[in-house]
Parts: sequence; C-alpha cells; structure tokens
Amino acid sequence: MIFLTSLVDRPVLGQAGETIGKLEDLIVRIGDSYPSVTGLVVKDGRRRFFVPASHLADLNGAALLASSIVDLAPFTRRDSEVLLRRDVLDHQLIDITGRRIVRVNDVQLTRVEGTYRVVGVDVSPQALLRRLGPRALANRIVGRQIIDWSDVQYLASTAPVQLKVSYDRLADLHPVDLARIVDALSYRESAEIVAALDEETAAETLEEVSDERVADLLEGMDQERAADILEEMTPAAAADALEDLEDDVAEQLLARMEPEEAADVQALMAYDEDSAGRIMTTDFVRVAENATVGDALAIVRSLEEVPDPLLAVYIVAVDDPDLLRGIVRLRALILASPQTPVLEVMDEDVPTVGPEDRAEDAARVLAEYNLLAVPVLGADGHLLGIVTVDDALAVLLPEIWQRRGARAGFA
Amino acid sequence: MKGGRLRRAWPYLLALGPGLLAASAGNDAGGIATYASAGATYGYGLLWAMVLVTLFVGVVQEMSARMGAVTGKGFSDLVRESFSLRVTALILLTLFIANAGIIVSEFIGIAAAAELFGVSRYFAVPVAAVFVWLLVTRGTYARVEKIFLTLTLAFLAYIGAAFLAHPDWHAVFRETVLPHPRLLDVGYLNLLIALIGTTISPYMQLYVQSSVVEKGVTPEEYRYTRFDVIIGTVSAGLVAMFIIIATAATLHKHGILQVDTAERAALALEPIAGPFAKALFGLGLLGASLLAAGVLPLSTTYVMSEAFGFERGVSRTWSEAPIFMGLFTGLVLLGAVLALIPGLPLIKVLVGVYVLNGLLLPIELFAMLRLVNDKELMGEHVNGPLYNLLAWGIAIIVSLLSLLLIGQTVLGWFGVGT
Repeated sequence: MIFLTSLVDRPVLGQAGETIGKLEDLIVRIGDSYPSVTGLVVKDGRRRFFVPASHLADLNGAALLASSIVDLAPFTRRDSEVLLRRDVLDHQLIDITGRRIVRVNDVQLTRVEGTYRVVGVDVSPQALLRRLGPRALANRIVGRQIIDWSDVQYLASTAPVQLKVSYDRLADLHPVDLARIVDALSYRESAEIVAALDEETAAETLEEVSDERVADLLEGMDQERAADILEEMTPAAAADALEDLEDDVAEQLLARMEPEEAADVQALMAYDEDSAGRIMTTDFVRVAENATVGDALAIVRSLEEVPDPLLAVYIVAVDDPDLLRGIVRLRALILASPQTPVLEVMDEDVPTVGPEDRAEDAARVLAEYNLLAVPVLGADGHLLGIVTVDDALAVLLPEIWQRRGARAGFA
Repeated sequence: MKGGRLRRAWPYLLALGPGLLAASAGNDAGGIATYASAGATYGYGLLWAMVLVTLFVGVVQEMSARMGAVTGKGFSDLVRESFSLRVTALILLTLFIANAGIIVSEFIGIAAAAELFGVSRYFAVPVAAVFVWLLVTRGTYARVEKIFLTLTLAFLAYIGAAFLAHPDWHAVFRETVLPHPRLLDVGYLNLLIALIGTTISPYMQLYVQSSVVEKGVTPEEYRYTRFDVIIGTVSAGLVAMFIIIATAATLHKHGILQVDTAERAALALEPIAGPFAKALFGLGLLGASLLAAGVLPLSTTYVMSEAFGFERGVSRTWSEAPIFMGLFTGLVLLGAVLALIPGLPLIKVLVGVYVLNGLLLPIELFAMLRLVNDKELMGEHVNGPLYNLLAWGIAIIVSLLSLLLIGQTVLGWFGVGT
C-alpha cells in the first residue's frame, strides 16, 4: 500500500542512488477505471521536470528511477492530465456508495502489472492528523477510511485543464441523493453534475433541489435543454422553478417548451405559491358517466402515459368533461365486474377544494376524510385538477424532514 | 433614451445584495460599540481612519467577490486546495478564533439589549441561545432573518441623531482630511485596530465570496457584483462615520469619554429619539445580535466542515454528522456561556474582540493576496500592478499596526510607554 502524502516532497533517486530532485507530483490519466500514473513531476531547485512513468522503477518509500540519465524535459500542463497532489489531494469528490461529498485526505496507489494506479482515496480524519503532525509521529496514528476509486465521481471542473470524465457512476444515485449533493456543492460543480444527467433524471433531481439553486441552474444552461428538463418536471415543480426566474427568461423558456406542457405550467403559475391550485396535478383520468368499469379500465390502459400514482378515476358528465360527478377508486374499479356501470361503484359525496384555498387546507381535507387525492374545483364548479397525498405531504413537512426521511428510507 | 439607460442600470440594481448585506452586517453589536467608543473617547479624532478603513474594506471585499466569481469556489475551499495542510490549518484556526470571538460578542449584544429593557441577561441569553439553535436546526431561520434585519435599521437613526446634535462640522471636516493620528497612545491604537477589525471582519469576506459562488456569478457578470460591493462598503462606512459623529457631538462633548455600558451608547440617540433612545438602540442591538448569532455559528461550522470534509448540513442527525452538529452547538454554547460570566465589562469585551480580530486579520489578508494573484486560479483576473500595490499596502499597514499594538501592550506590562 502506497500513499501519496508519504511520497511527495521526498527525494527522487537515480539508479545509482543519487538524488535527482524532489517529487513534486504524480501525473495520472483520469479516464481509466483506476487512473494509471503516466509520469512524475520532479522539482530541482526552482525548475520542474517531467519524468515519464516508464523510467520509474519503484515508488515504495521513495521514487526510484530505473535509469540515471533522464531526459529532463521541463514540465508543462497538458489536457486530460491530472496532477494527483494539485488536483485530487485536498479536493472534493462524490462518494457514490456513501451518497455524500468527501474531501480527499490521502490517495492510495498500488502497482498492478508494472503500472502504478490510483486505487482509492482516504477520507479519514486520521489521515489529516498524520499530515498535520511531525512525520516521526505519523506512523503512530492508526485508522484509515479508504473509498475505492471505482466508487467515487471525480468532477472535471476540479482540474484547470480540459478533461473528459465519465459520469456513469452518477446513475447509481437516487435523484433525492443527487439533489442533496447538487444543493451542497458550489454552483459550478452542481452545474457540471446536472449537465451530465439525462433529461429525465435531471428533472427528477431538480424537483428536489432548493428553488434558488434550480433557478440559477436553469438560467445558466442552454435554453433548449432547460425547456426540455422543465417539460419532464411535474408542472407544479416547473411552475415553482419558473417563478424564481426573471420574467423574460421564464417567458423564453415557456416559449421553447411543448405548448401543451407550457400551458399546464402557466395554468399553475396563475395561483399563489402556497395554494391548492399550485400544488395540484392536472394529470388524472377522466371517464364519462355512461361508461362501464370495463370501459374505464380500457381508457386507463390506452393512455400513453398513465398518471403515477394512479389512485382513482374521475367520473365526468358525458357532454362536459370538466363537470365532476364523482370518483371511482382504483380498488372499486378492480373489484367490480367489467360490465358494471361506473355510476354504481362511484362515490358521489366527494369533498373538494378550490384552487385559491391554502395548500395546507387541502392537506387537512385529505387527512380528515382519509383520502388519497382531493379534486380541485374552480369557482364555476369545473374540475381543474387533483391534489394527491404526495403533493400535500411536501407542503406539510418542512423540506429538511422530508430529506431526512428519504435518507433513512434508503439506508 | 431614458428607457435604454434604465435597462442598462437594471442588472446593477438586481445585483445589489450580498455586498450590501455583508457591509451592513459589520454594524453589529461589536461594531456599534467600537464606533461609539471611538466617538466618545476621541471625538472626531478617528474619523479620518474610518475613511481609510472604508477604502480598505472596499478593496478586500472586491478581491473576495472577484475570487468567488472567477474560481467558483469559497475561500476555505481555495485555501485547502492551494496551501499545504499545515498552512490551511493555521489560516482556518485564526478564522475560527476570530469568528468564535465575534459569536461571543453577539451574545453580549443580546445581553446588553435585554438589560436595556430591564430583562436579566441570565434569562435572556440562555433563551436566545436555545431560540437560535432551534431556528437554525429546524431550518426555519431564513423566515425570521428578515425580521432581525429590519430591526437593525434602527441604527440608521444615528444619521439623524448626528445632524440634530449640531456637531461642529468644521471640526468634522478638519479631522477627516487633516488628521492628527496618535499612534503611540495605546488606547487610540487599540480603537484604531478595533475599527479595522470590526470593519474588515474575515467573516464578511467569507460571506461575500460564498454568496457570489452560490449565485454562480460569472466573470462576465462580475462588474454588477463589484458595484454592489462598492455601494455596500460606502454606505456602511457612512453609517459608521455618523455613529462616530453622533457620539462625539453628544457624549464626548459632555465629558462622557467612556462608553462602558449600552445605556451610554444609546444616549447618543437622544437628540432624535428623546426618551425612546434606549428602546430604539435596544431593538437595533437585539436585531443585529440575533441576526449574527444565528448566521455566524452556522457559517463557521460550514467553513470548517467543508475544508476538512466532515459530513455537514443542519438536516443531519447527530449520528450522521457528529462533528458538524457538535461544532455548531458548541459555538452557540460558548457564546452564551462566556456572555454570562458575572461582572463582565460588556462594552470592553466587545471592543476587545475586534482588537483580536484586527490582530488576526493580517494572516487572512496575506492568504487572500496569495490566492488572488495565483495565475492558475485567477487567469487574467489577477490583481493589476497598481491594485496590488494598494492591496499589499493595506495588508502591510494592518500588520504594522497590529505589531505596534502588541509592542505597545508588551511595553505597557513593563511600565514603559504611555
């Protein structure tokens, strides 16, 4: 086991044991699954030299070169090359399994078939103490917390050179965890992460990110992509995000969205932030009152995108799809025989709320009547949308508790 | 045409925020105590320093904001990533000590404000500590922040008080442009360094830089942020000067040379608020102290946790983020407990905290200069030669003054000097 901090600033020895200089840094290519050391930066006085890894005989204890006569080319930074000490040590990484941001306190290297490779990072406080105290005491401090390199995500913005970094590992993170990380990182790092996500994941992630950060991220990215992500978000989340943007930017984004999705979002934006109208979803299934249970199920199955969660279908007048007659819960729909008219299994006495009612009041109705969703009716009695338990929960619980719960649930 | 000009001005107005807020945050309990002491003890004699200090703050804040815009990283991140671990530890330790001192001063401010209203500090300070702790850990702090901020507007009354007290404007002008610095007077030097310490607090630079980073300000948008920084610095400097003028024209003129209690500091507001001077001052002090008592322990804890990679976030449980929660709770506790020491000379401690701040400041300034001139980090946005001259000059002047104070104090122990 070789650790970076026990190598740097130590002498680099030639074949005959003569000192060539001090080891300043190790160069690695970050694209490999375990980055391989491609060269050394050796410092002699004020000059910094590049020594290719092919000259390296041994790294254990001190860097030992295979040949004494080295072609001492001055060191310059090049794209796709990362310096372990300058760009990895002491920098932040994402620990994918731990679903958190860590800071690298040491880098572990190992020799695999003649090549030195980075295999892990030490994030333990002990590693800090070892480096802080005098070198003689360093060995007395025990304890490491190594994270395997295949389990971390390196951010390309960390190094001051052009890097191609694979973000495949981010796919292992749940959008809720991604959101927490996006919130905790600086804007630029979070923008890098969101840029690496596909539109659907980006949308699911941004739904959980704080409103201000979402606004900054949307404003900072290409408008076409921002509009695509907004389309994937729930209309309520998209409305919240757009409201935090400057009016002209919000308008431009809405104009780039699919007209149908944009209209949904704009309809919600007409209501106050903490109103039932704002948190309601317009995504629900309408069934005409003359249909049978079998027809209703067929309608659900024929939908291109079935609402999730699907809690009930909404029975409306034959000639006016906005006139609510009642609801048929999914349970009733499944238990009844297909020939049964929906009117027979329909609940007529459904409590409703108005779009201007406070979101908390809608949540209270849900709790009092033990409902999974409550219809939202406009002033003219027309059906506008439904507020589901999911939507209401987000209002009732402060954001932090929601996050903590999500974390406990996935642990 | 007018519309066009307005449109060009709009981004500047929108950018007003962090810089303005950070600079006004300097007018907290310790700030008011320092300015009031300066006015009471030396009359208009330190006004000139306030002008210079305002320039210093402007330069330092501007560098912080620029570093944030160009690197996209906070100060502690940059320190950890650019300096060796030992230097990082030293810089962060001084930051920690400076902030811990200010946290203590905020709880002293709460104690002083409570006593102005006849409430015992042994009751008020523990209640405030629990209140602040709950607000922050429950994530509801942001909702009450604006209330605290509004309360601090009470200090604007000093501007009116300064005018109504009919100061000798000739003397004000003369002392501002033709000063008579008394650098060998330990008391004078103390206050001078406290003025620097309270106005150029490291935490303000941290705040400005991190809010620039948070907002994702780009180098192209940076000029709007710079405008915000300048406006913030100048307006905070003006308020500070008016506090000095108001106290000089009231307390100093009537032979009250020591501001050792909050009542005395409130006296300077009498020309404008009459019998309500105490209440007005008390509200302002309470707002300012509560504001900072919540923000500072949290931001200090974040800075430390981020730099050392501890699990962080107020939404975490004790078992998830023991160091983060422990540090935050410890800082609140430390502030509250120290503020409750019986017989503590409150205003003296407040000024003392800023003397400490001023003494630690050079370390932060030199670290900042190293970073802002790092080509690899800042590219073309490093300081220009003239600007560097100014910035280095400031760092050196502040360091020399600190050394001078230490020297004078040590000589004083041996009975030498004034």
